[in-house]
Amino acid sequence: MSHYIVLVKQVPDVSQITDNAFDPKTGNLIRTRLPSVINELDAQALAFAHHMKTISGDTDGKVIALTMGPPMAAEVLRYSLGRCADTAVLLTDRALGGADTVATANPLAHATQKICTELLGGSNDYYIISGMQSVDGDTAQVPAQMAEELNIPCVPYATEAHYKNGQFTFTRIISGGSQQVQPLSKPAIVTIAKYEHPLFASFARTRKGNQMDLIQWGADDVKATAVGVTGSKTRVIRVFPPGKTTRKCQQVESTKELAKIIVTNLAQNSDPKDTGAEQSPDYILPKKRADKLDRRYEGTVKEMNDFNLLAEKLKELNITDIAEVNEKAKEKILADKSISFHKKTLDDMLNGLALSKPEYSGEVWVMAEHAENNINDATFELIGKARELADSLCTVVGVVLVGDQVKSMAGDLIAAGAGKVYLIEDSVLKNFDPHSYRTAVCDVFNKYQPQIVLYGATPQGRVLAPMVSYRVGCGLTADCTGLDIRDSSRKGQIAILMQTRPALGGNIMATICTKDSSCQMATARPGVMKRLEADANRKGQMIEHSIELTESDLSLTIISTEKGQGNVNFDSGVIISGGKGMQNQETFNRLLSSLCGSIRNQLDVTVEQGATRTAVEQGFAERIHQVGQTGTAVGPKLYVAIGISGAIQHMIGVANTECIIAINTDPNAPIFKQCDYYIVGNAEQVVPELAETIKAG
Amino acid sequence: MQEYNNVSVLIVGAGPAGLATAITLKNQQPDLDIVVIDKAAGVGNHNLSGAVLEPGAIAKLMDPIDPDWTESDDAKGVLLSKVNKDDIMFLLGKKLAFPIEIVIKMAKAFKLGFGQMTHSGDYICSVSKLTTWLNKVAISLGVEVLYGFAAEEILWDAEEHIATGVKLVDQGLNKEGNPERGYLAGEVVNAKTIVIAEGCDGLLAEKFVKRAGLTRQAAQLYSIGVKELIKVTDEQYKKFGEDRVVHAMGYPIWTPAIGPGMFGGGIMYPMGDNHIAVGMIIGLDYKFCDFNPQDALTRFKGHKFVKQFIDGGIVTEAGAKMIPEGGLYAIPRCPKTETIGRSNVMLLGDSAGLVNMCKIKGMHNAIESGIAAANAIAESIDEPKGLARIYTLKLEQAGVLKEMATAKNFRQTVAKFGNLQGMPLSVLGGWLPKFNIEPDYKTLTTSKYRLKPSVKFDKDTFTAVAATEHREEEPCHLLIENETICRETCLGKFGAPCITFCPAGVYESVQGQPKAANPSNCLHCKTCQRKCPYDNIRWTVPEPNGGPKYKTM
Ligand SMILES: Cc1cc2nc3c(=O)[nH]c(=O)nc-3n(C[C@H](O)[C@H](O)[C@H](O)COP(=O)(O)OP(=O)(O)OC[C@H]3O[C@@H](n4cnc5c(N)ncnc54)[C@H](O)[C@@H]3O)c2cc1C
Ligand SMILES: Cc1cc2nc3c(=O)[nH]c(=O)nc-3n(C[C@H](O)[C@H](O)[C@H](O)COP(=O)(O)OP(=O)(O)OC[C@H]3O[C@@H](n4cnc5c(N)ncnc54)[C@H](O)[C@@H]3O)c2cc1C
Repeated sequence: MSHYIVLVKQVPDVSQITDNAFDPKTGNLIRTRLPSVINELDAQALAFAHHMKTISGDTDGKVIALTMGPPMAAEVLRYSLGRCADTAVLLTDRALGGADTVATANPLAHATQKICTELLGGSNDYYIISGMQSVDGDTAQVPAQMAEELNIPCVPYATEAHYKNGQFTFTRIISGGSQQVQPLSKPAIVTIAKYEHPLFASFARTRKGNQMDLIQWGADDVKATAVGVTGSKTRVIRVFPPGKTTRKCQQVESTKELAKIIVTNLAQNSDPKDTGAEQSPDYILPKKRADKLDRRYEGTVKEMNDFNLLAEKLKELNITDIAEVNEKAKEKILADKSISFHKKTLDDMLNGLALSKPEYSGEVWVMAEHAENNINDATFELIGKARELADSLCTVVGVVLVGDQVKSMAGDLIAAGAGKVYLIEDSVLKNFDPHSYRTAVCDVFNKYQPQIVLYGATPQGRVLAPMVSYRVGCGLTADCTGLDIRDSSRKGQIAILMQTRPALGGNIMATICTKDSSCQMATARPGVMKRLEADANRKGQMIEHSIELTESDLSLTIISTEKGQGNVNFDSGVIISGGKGMQNQETFNRLLSSLCGSIRNQLDVTVEQGATRTAVEQGFAERIHQVGQTGTAVGPKLYVAIGISGAIQHMIGVANTECIIAINTDPNAPIFKQCDYYIVGNAEQVVPELAETIKAG
Repeated sequence: MQEYNNVSVLIVGAGPAGLATAITLKNQQPDLDIVVIDKAAGVGNHNLSGAVLEPGAIAKLMDPIDPDWTESDDAKGVLLSKVNKDDIMFLLGKKLAFPIEIVIKMAKAFKLGFGQMTHSGDYICSVSKLTTWLNKVAISLGVEVLYGFAAEEILWDAEEHIATGVKLVDQGLNKEGNPERGYLAGEVVNAKTIVIAEGCDGLLAEKFVKRAGLTRQAAQLYSIGVKELIKVTDEQYKKFGEDRVVHAMGYPIWTPAIGPGMFGGGIMYPMGDNHIAVGMIIGLDYKFCDFNPQDALTRFKGHKFVKQFIDGGIVTEAGAKMIPEGGLYAIPRCPKTETIGRSNVMLLGDSAGLVNMCKIKGMHNAIESGIAAANAIAESIDEPKGLARIYTLKLEQAGVLKEMATAKNFRQTVAKFGNLQGMPLSVLGGWLPKFNIEPDYKTLTTSKYRLKPSVKFDKDTFTAVAATEHREEEPCHLLIENETICRETCLGKFGAPCITFCPAGVYESVQGQPKAANPSNCLHCKTCQRKCPYDNIRWTVPEPNGGPKYKTM
């Protein structure tokens, strides 16, 4: 008899963000203006757990809802009790506040152990079910890190559960397809990427749940070993509003005009892809700076300005050696009207100026991802970024290539900019298994101790990275869109990695850096970083790393893998995508092929079809055509979105596109704020007209 | 688990009426189990009003709970200010506006019916905010207020003449009406006493009226209110004033002699934080088949007098809701005993039709009815069969029915004689005989609205700021009884007016067949079931948690 511990989290309702929710002066989101709700994927996790219990026919299995949060988070427990939970545990404590993913996963893992002994009679026959990620954090790290803390299998990105012969099988999303898997042992963690069968509140359960006492534990009760700010491995440097999109957002009135835009756009030469390496690096180590007082690479603008002022002051006072700054000089500096900082800050700054040794040492690494003997695009993009970082830090880019008979791909990695390729080959590593892969990666990591490790924020990278980072005790920042080397001289840190990422569904941006760690780790959004032009003349070194692995290092049995059908060339110059607005498969195919055809023939470019996830689910297109977070990230010259609303998960996948055109009936479609040109109209009418106009030349 | 399906007092609807019942009763009988259910996902989400609130009823409700309630932050945050400047304007054409409060004041002096249209000293408030506060008070007293539960059916024992409970709406059916994964059959809630406080044109209320054999002396009539909350500049807001309300008659719905001649008017209320609520209330007995109340709102907003305060503003919220206007004669009663309700079931607030149409006010009566119901239950919980009788008596004693009597023929007179003659004639309301007025759906003609704006009203934005949604897969909750009529008769004759008048754009013609194509846009205003010229649309209760999410309506 299996039991289910469901992780639920209270989050601000980002779907209700209006202009009123932003501070007009700073542009920052005022969180208290938003109502609190249960994280949508956690609500799905509850439904998933309920479904598992139902199909197993085990009416005695317990469903226990667990949340960590302020006392107010009790609301999501009541929500759970009203639906399917039998018991609810609230983990709440001031000491737990300010936690990052590590300091969240750790107490939650210890709480599940306590649940196991106290509420499940010590039975190991249970599943921890959680949403894959929460809308406020978007990291997807907590469940994977819990799996690591508990040393149990993790089934990431699940969408369905089946039950046969006393065993559960799960369907999970992988890049470009899906997979049927079984965890090899219990307990196991299952994270839900999508399970849209609703679970409704019952009147009787809701009343009972409201009257029930919640079990409440503090940090000490669960004996957590990493809690709150001190247990965290990352710290937030600053939070700021996202920059206004640089997309033009121009409305076009007629299809004629639109056709003209398409033609001229494709005729133009695109910007040459950034070649990074040839340019001067955008960070210079203090030792190499001409001026010892030059502190123009601080992490925040304020610190940079403060250092500039100080440098000016020192020059005024004719001080060139920091050691010469005595108490009297300090007084003089602080007396200046333009100086707004206090003595303590001044001391910190002077100490910072004396520093030149980087905080970290070692190489900059990229974790390679591959499928069917091809390196994933995201990996090439990361190598481009890693090259830039490594040049700044005067070190080498190392790429870790893990798999079975994968050596042949090393050449591509070197051509893309890798200085070293660390190769780990083993038959056990044939397919991606979170456990065997993290074991392999941790081993090579421990031997060579790089200073930075970058992973793609792909279904694979987002599981592997949290497991590896947790195991080796390093901080991890998810889903970065900006990575820069900067100093935090006042804090005594030189040349650290500033990791910038969107949060709260893209409504705010945060810059984060790693703390109390030997290495800085981040996953980066596919499609955001620029790859280098492949160059077969690049030289690199291959280092084979061997490790003893056996079948016991696996955590999942892969029963089958389904790839989308057909061949897709997303490197095409033009991608034309359809969404749910195409109504049915017939319309989808008819409209898309006619437009693809006329652009391909008339304008002599490669053209490919894309689709939203919803369109794929409706059966309009094969999964392999899906563009977006769980599909493929694309970066064509021209992207035409027809009948697509512009959901964040879709738009992530087209961020690197040069020009986006949208066709939608809804004048308020969110995509209109994220594209270059748009036309308000029915696809049935606009698309054939457009195809005709282009064909007519 | 079964025991949780039994309650002593079940209140359907967490509007002012339902919450007033719960608060008063729980305060008197702390041990009584009282459950309030509401179909909205959250507090205040389905409550829309003007509003100016007469101070008497709320004081009567709150005084026993906390004598210092006026000093509480909650009360101050909700009852924004008292009306000091009470503008009643007559709009003529797109530009002219004449203050006419003097006429109203004189009418008041002579105790004429429409003299009640003054608001000085009333509180300015949003009913979504008011219910949020009342919900908090109710919960602090120990009432169970449960959002996300919709009642669909009243379980009426025809032999014993007593209700045994209600059945909730089924959840998890697919479009075809078949159970899908997660299906939850509507639970039965057994209750000793049932308070129906569902608001205007309540589904449960109408089913109960039928089952229990209640009758109305005259058909219920309705108005539709469409309203927007507009964020304006500091200057505009200051210029309008924090303690001023504007009621306007005339343009764009009524002009003497040349028409159009519709009942109703425009409203403007300050809602705090630089927001002005602008709305249009229109009698559903209008006759233009191409009329959309939102068109009148557009015209009203474009009038010079209104525009000066809102030009360039941003619409942050919007919504639509009906008002029952039939008055005293349209209150459903037991034919034998004249009780408003029957046996252990009571009808409150808008569900009973307790709106005074001279004043366009119903909140004070909704609250009064709640207090009356609570007092009745407190008196006679052990003999629930006598509740409706005691409740009706208490309503009488509270003066609610008397107030309704002063306004009793107002709306009918206007309907019968038109605004110009009707308004003054309504003065005689009290003495005039009862008129038989046709239900609203019968008044539509093929004539067109003269002032239709050239640009189509943007219903998408309207529904977007109303934040309305329903589960897409659920069965369509708008039933069309005979689709052939829509296709073969209505479309040709009237152009399927539902497509035009539905404020949410629910109806569309799909390949020549008018249908409820976008039920998930629905704002729960129910206009369609009262204005379809063939009485061919039935609004049913959708799965709970759907519908608009009003915050400051
Ligand atoms: C974890 C997770 C991962 C996800 N990953 C992805 C992903 O990789 N890729 C992805 O695409 N989505 C992904 N999604 C789903 C995403 O959130 C959206 O649900 C999805 O992108 C919406 O698809 P859509 O725009 O086709 O449909 P809708 O949002 O339903 O939009 C349809 C649009 O069509 C318009 N329309 C309707 N009729 C017409 C017409 N006749 N002519 C023109 N326009 C018309 C409508 O106005 C509307 O804007 C993910 C979601 C989650 C939770
Ligand atoms: C535009 C407009 C302006 C107005 N201006 C004023 C004014 O200035 N002053 C004034 O005093 N009055 C005004 N009124 C009238 C006033 O708003 C109503 O009389 C008052 O809100 C009625 O309260 P109620 O509690 O009866 O119903 P409601 O406030 O309508 O509450 C009913 C509740 O029941 C719930 N419900 C309905 N059916 C079900 C079901 N089957 N199951 C579960 N829950 C259900 C609904 O979700 C809703 O929350 C105005 C009305 C409108 C529309």
